[in-house]
Amino acid sequence: MIELFKLVRNKLVIMLMIGFVLFIAVIGYSLSDRKGLTMPESFIKDSITFVQQWIYKPAGYIAGLFEDIRNLQEIYEENEQLRMTAAAYTRDKIEYNFTKKENERLEQALKFTERQKQMYNYNYLIAQVISVSNDANNRSMNINLGSLNGIKKNMAVTTVDGLIGLVSSVTPLTATVTPITELNETSPTFNSIAATIMGRENESFGILSSYNSEIDRVIMTKIAENDQMVVGDTVITSGLGNIYPRGLVIGTVESKQVGDFGLTYVATVKLAASFDHLTEVFVVQQPDSEEPQQ
Amino acid sequence: MSMNRIILIMLLLFVLEGALVPWLIPAGFGHRIIPHFVFVFVIFASIYTGRHRGLLLGAGFGLLQDIVYYGHLLGPHAFIMASLGYFAGMMFEKRRATILMALSIVGMACILYDSALFFIYRIFRITNDTYAWAVLDYILPSLFLQLAFALACYVPARRMFERLVHKGADNDEE
Repeated sequence: MIELFKLVRNKLVIMLMIGFVLFIAVIGYSLSDRKGLTMPESFIKDSITFVQQWIYKPAGYIAGLFEDIRNLQEIYEENEQLRMTAAAYTRDKIEYNFTKKENERLEQALKFTERQKQMYNYNYLIAQVISVSNDANNRSMNINLGSLNGIKKNMAVTTVDGLIGLVSSVTPLTATVTPITELNETSPTFNSIAATIMGRENESFGILSSYNSEIDRVIMTKIAENDQMVVGDTVITSGLGNIYPRGLVIGTVESKQVGDFGLTYVATVKLAASFDHLTEVFVVQQPDSEEPQQ
Repeated sequence: MSMNRIILIMLLLFVLEGALVPWLIPAGFGHRIIPHFVFVFVIFASIYTGRHRGLLLGAGFGLLQDIVYYGHLLGPHAFIMASLGYFAGMMFEKRRATILMALSIVGMACILYDSALFFIYRIFRITNDTYAWAVLDYILPSLFLQLAFALACYVPARRMFERLVHKGADNDEE
């Protein structure tokens, strides 16, 4: 007992113990029940990111200028490709218009409610990245739209290339995006995403359950045995479950093999979007979250 | 150089670390080379002005990091930065640090910082990677960036902190 008192008399040990207990308490609290940011937290975050947005964008412009000069030679080739895509687009647009008309007529005939009609009418809000976290296991980004602009938690965020993540927290002026590379089955803080294959939306299905950082690929599980999925297919979100919007490009299938128990297949997916030097991102706003029910 | 000025400089460093440094790192290495410039400054402050200041600066800026970049957990950065700042200061309480000693302490502190962070995330099952992979993938590459930064700002940082200590000593004599 006397030894214990001697130990306690040592200031360092007391400090360390108090610090450790405090630390575990705070982490435990934040892990179990963290609905959103409190007032002082959002105030601090908003004021820091307010300053950061003056720096990130100009730095991006300067870096982009050098990249443009370097890419000058490739422009010609790219132009050729774009012209081909544009030609394909005009063909598809005509067909799209017909299908859309037909779809509207059928919806009318089947007496769809206003909410069902508006379900897939997504709104893309353009946002600027302000800053990137310097934590290897939490590469979250701050963007310059917040709850005042109608951003809500769990909204999907994409670039022109593909899905990059989900909104994890919102303050009045900014929002934090957790990248899709944090996807993890066992983690208590990120949900899995339902996915399908572009062109076979009704036949293929899989769940993006985790990200393997050692091979830089997303792992897609629970693929049915008779699924027609092949290497090179484009993976998109399926929108089943109605939490994440449908039709967002995620990446391409790189390999497919039998899963752990031999009943389902597992595929690795190469992400379409790159996470370095991001400038503009789109937050996908679903009409459901805008106006709950009419 | 007053304490307020130092905090202001560190705040500026914190802002730049998130907004400017990602642009300086070549594309494709964004997740491998990760800046911890504010942490380097916390270690400097702790070596040259005492462990208590290191503890307070570490806790303050660690908490700022936890809040601004909303992540899985709240508090790991604050805890690790504060405790490492405290211990770095404790080692240099009696003697003066040369440049080599200061840099090796900064290097060791950076490895400990990343490792401790990794193990906290590992305990709460936020990451499934192995430690050996984490060391090769981002802990060692980032260490070089931190050491280069520490070397570049060693002289101004030391002058700044030592002036603060001298000023404090003068005030005590009065």
